Amino acid sequence: MLDAALLESLPRFITPLLLASLAGALCHRAAVFNIALEGMLLIGAFAAVAGSWASGSWLGGVALAMLAGSLTGLAYALFAIHRGGDDIVVSIGLNFLAIGLSVFLLQLVFDTRGQFDDPGIEAIPRLPLPFLEPVPVLGALLNDQSLLFWFAIVLTGSLAYLLGHHRLGLRLRASGDNPEALRTAGVSPDRLRGGALVASGVLCGLAGAQLSISNVTLFTEGMSAGRGWIAVVIVLMCNGRPSWILPTACLFGTIEALGFRIQGLGLPQQFTDALPYVVALLVLALVTARRRRAAVAH
Amino acid sequence: MTQRTRAPATPLCRLVDVSHAFGPVRALERVSLELRAGEILCIVGENGAGKSTLMSVLYGLLQPDAGHIEFGGRTVRLRSARDAIERGLGMVHQHFMLYPELSVLENVIVGAEGPGRLGLIDFRRRRAEVAALLARFSFGLDPDRPVRDLAVDARQQLEIVKLLYRRADLIILDEPTAVLTPQEIEALFAMLRRLRDEGKSIIVITHKLGEVMALSDRVAVMRRGRRVAERRTTDTDRDELSTLMVDGRVETLSRQGWARERTTLQVGSLSVSGEHGKPLVDNVSLSVRAGEILGIAGVANNGQQALVEALVGLRSMSGGHIVLNGRDIGDDDIGARRAAGLGYLAEDRMRVGLALSGSIAENALAGMESRPAFSRAGWLDVAAAKRHAAELIARFDIRTSGPRQPVARLSGGNKQKVIVARELAAGPSLIIAENPCWGVDVGAIAFIHRQLMEAARDGAAILLISSDLDELFALSDRLAVFYDGRISAQFTREQLDVRTVGAAMSGRASGAVPATSAPVSSAAPA
Amino acid sequence: MSGRLRRLGSLSLSLLVITLVVLAIPGARENAASFIDGAFGGRNRFNFYTTLNRSVLIVGMAMSVLVSFRAGLINIGGEGQLVLGGLCAAIVGAWLHAPPLLVMVAALVAAMLAGALWALVAGAFERFAGLPLVVGSLLLNYPAVLFASYLVSHPLRDVQSGSTQTPRLASEVRLPRFDGTLLDMGIFLVIGVIFVVILLERRSVFGYRHRLQGYSLPFARASGFPIRAVHFQTLAGSGAIAGLVGFIAVFGVNHRYIDGMLTLPLYSWTGVIAVLLAGMLSWLTPLTGFFFAALATGAVGIERAADIPREAAQIVQALIILFAAGFGARLHSRRSGDAS
Repeated sequence: MLDAALLESLPRFITPLLLASLAGALCHRAAVFNIALEGMLLIGAFAAVAGSWASGSWLGGVALAMLAGSLTGLAYALFAIHRGGDDIVVSIGLNFLAIGLSVFLLQLVFDTRGQFDDPGIEAIPRLPLPFLEPVPVLGALLNDQSLLFWFAIVLTGSLAYLLGHHRLGLRLRASGDNPEALRTAGVSPDRLRGGALVASGVLCGLAGAQLSISNVTLFTEGMSAGRGWIAVVIVLMCNGRPSWILPTACLFGTIEALGFRIQGLGLPQQFTDALPYVVALLVLALVTARRRRAAVAH
Repeated sequence: MTQRTRAPATPLCRLVDVSHAFGPVRALERVSLELRAGEILCIVGENGAGKSTLMSVLYGLLQPDAGHIEFGGRTVRLRSARDAIERGLGMVHQHFMLYPELSVLENVIVGAEGPGRLGLIDFRRRRAEVAALLARFSFGLDPDRPVRDLAVDARQQLEIVKLLYRRADLIILDEPTAVLTPQEIEALFAMLRRLRDEGKSIIVITHKLGEVMALSDRVAVMRRGRRVAERRTTDTDRDELSTLMVDGRVETLSRQGWARERTTLQVGSLSVSGEHGKPLVDNVSLSVRAGEILGIAGVANNGQQALVEALVGLRSMSGGHIVLNGRDIGDDDIGARRAAGLGYLAEDRMRVGLALSGSIAENALAGMESRPAFSRAGWLDVAAAKRHAAELIARFDIRTSGPRQPVARLSGGNKQKVIVARELAAGPSLIIAENPCWGVDVGAIAFIHRQLMEAARDGAAILLISSDLDELFALSDRLAVFYDGRISAQFTREQLDVRTVGAAMSGRASGAVPATSAPVSSAAPA
Repeated sequence: MSGRLRRLGSLSLSLLVITLVVLAIPGARENAASFIDGAFGGRNRFNFYTTLNRSVLIVGMAMSVLVSFRAGLINIGGEGQLVLGGLCAAIVGAWLHAPPLLVMVAALVAAMLAGALWALVAGAFERFAGLPLVVGSLLLNYPAVLFASYLVSHPLRDVQSGSTQTPRLASEVRLPRFDGTLLDMGIFLVIGVIFVVILLERRSVFGYRHRLQGYSLPFARASGFPIRAVHFQTLAGSGAIAGLVGFIAVFGVNHRYIDGMLTLPLYSWTGVIAVLLAGMLSWLTPLTGFFFAALATGAVGIERAADIPREAAQIVQALIILFAAGFGARLHSRRSGDAS
């Protein structure tokens, strides 16, 4: 089962989770409880297909996905930060909006329901690394993978570094720790949070693009399929630290990939679909239980 | 004491005719004040006199409705804290503005990270700058330690380092000594004097007159939003300041002892464990008789809170026993203790004492909802609850539009009255009162004190934990001083003296002889 | 009082804004007629009964959610509780051979038990592992829905019918309809739930503690309330109501459990937003639930007439919630905003 085909498929599963988790991490560090990642993913996926189809180029898809994502983040910031709305209510509203809007536009723009598939959709190119081909594990894993995969890897490292070493990174962490204190230091925590939200929208847009114009080249209703919720769990497990998010996203990506494989062996689809959620629940429960015990002992 | 001859303090900044109102409440009325370099100015006043509001205006956090601020003779608009910081103002708030998860170094530089390529922080240079500051004042702070690990006095030092890093010339401290031990206060004062000698302007907001006399060069008195007086500290004394602060209205409560024979509360060898193996409460024994008021004095964070939580049932004890009216309640949860006659005036009135979203009637019922007077077989008698609330409103003179008004809209004093009314109405035999008059206006303070004394007269035993020595001296029959988790001294009413009590509070037990009427041994429950 | 007034204000303001936005769309006025017909008209008032039946389910789910939210418990696992409840009802209904009334009662009890237990699982995760209820209850939705989907696709499937559904319920055990209408008596159950919830809330000791615990948990603890018991009972009640709604859906309109019949119409999430829009006022929730049901069926009418996809209703609902959030709608009644 752990053959080359599985390894080759891993980045496809990891990339959307990684990007969405990084998006959630930025919000988490700013103390914004963003559980609209699922909706942002869905909007990103639709926008990527629409953009790629309309412009005939994957760049158009990526650009539109980023734009749509940023607008979603902006909407969140408008209602939750500027107007002081409750995070959870705004997230529920945006998730609702994403579901409705994606199906609505699917019908209105592409005159179809259920799925939109068209040869005019251009996929995101892959990065061939021919010198890696002979290498045993890494060759299958890293050769000829989506550009977004590499972007996500580089982004993880950059965010980890910037959070610690850049002015905005420090202020973002401060805004999540004690926004009142930041205000008395003369910096607006609201602007930082808004920025984090817009950035998270962009990243979720890219995650959606990976789903709809890289893994496959089509859009299906409900394409995000709960990945946004797994991302929320990953963020909580890792306390928003990019350096922990990478291995965790890889873990869940692998579980998803294995799930597909097991399906081929005759286990009903529902079981393999449920696997990531059950694992997420159990692992998060373990993590929070351990944290609680550590806090009490202190 | 050596008298230093210093150059006369030069004016740095002036507040001119500043006024500000919060809705109908006039927090500041035409206040003018001059702030000078090389000087320590204390602003004194009671809770609600307007001191903090004035400093919020000065620091740019509030825009005054009228009046203006001058720097070097020129009128200036401070639109935000950033403007104030740029003008050389620095403020240490009463509740520290620190980031617990970030390191000491990061705490200092947030918001002023210095120039760097593409916004990256030049940590090497910043670290050197901060280390130099720390060395200059001999602060033993580790730049990489997360702030959540720091003790209180270290956090305050960090706050001051933040100001100095931003080259503040005008330093405001809001009630800085509330959380410090006497030794730490001395250290703080020494540093403030040094900063003054370097030419900074220091402003300390406080209500502790002893500190004012010890520390300041000049003192301004505020009362009800006005600056009613200003003196050079050498030209005045505590009595004059205290009279100016309180409007000459000193209510002398007639005090008699109502202590009866019966012991209501007996606490033996009570211990509560804390972090790192150090107990928060260490083998404490005390007792309170019916009709007696036992005061517990002590600087905050010496274990009083843990003691109260253990007595009330919100925290478990690691040893000892608690006997109420002859019954051991150590294993009872808080509901059972309340049923056994315990009443609790919590210090945190916004979160613990009251449910802010609820109405007065709802708040007044809490703890009694399953009593036969208000319920039968699980069903509430809503009319009885409303009547009860109306009675309490009348009896306790609570200013409100009615029992259905949400508690959040009441003033601080009236909120506290709701709590006192509720707890007293249940007819408890033991009342544990934690700082019952904190943040309450003078009229309500007198009222609440009267209510407590009447409860004592009617036979309740009262355990009064307070950081206000005046309150303790006025009400207590006996006073125990808490230091470092233990009772360091006990006093009878006749033995009450500020100096000896103060010494006990800072751990220097002056050998006050425990009163004979205070049983200390852990007697078995009767 | 002003807290409630403020919430009502946010409700009216958001509705006003949305209405104005919608009316501004070209062709809106002409389509208004098809909307009204789509929601309340149709041949023999078919659409009206569709709206009514839908609102019964939405309002039921809203009550389930309301009970949790008011106690400060953010239980968004309604979908899982609803599905498991409906599934259990379908199993009992199709396979228990007993007098019809007994079957119905047994099915109802089974459904409520299933829903209550699933809610308690989420509660157990919070109590024993510290896993926040909002995350735990949400995550549990997926295994529940997928499990039900599996059962209905394979072991419990009515193979003859050719679709993924359980066998049809015998006509004797179905919920009877009111004469001459398409409305079944499930509405009595939901009305009963509303009545019981309001009664308990206003006049019972449990309701009092439940409400004040939602206002402030530290306050409830210091007042000696049995906090864990209140949490436990609230979650169980909330899940039981969701299970009851599942029973109504299976024994009422559909007479069987069809894969996706409870999740695709988003009954649970619509219930959540109905509660949010009603500012968590129990008497207002049935109205907002009905409003959203009408919105959904009316949109179908507009789709037929003007070719605007029916999902427009969902978009409108989402916008309403976003605006309500901007004007103060909250999932809890706490004031100081501290998380428990």
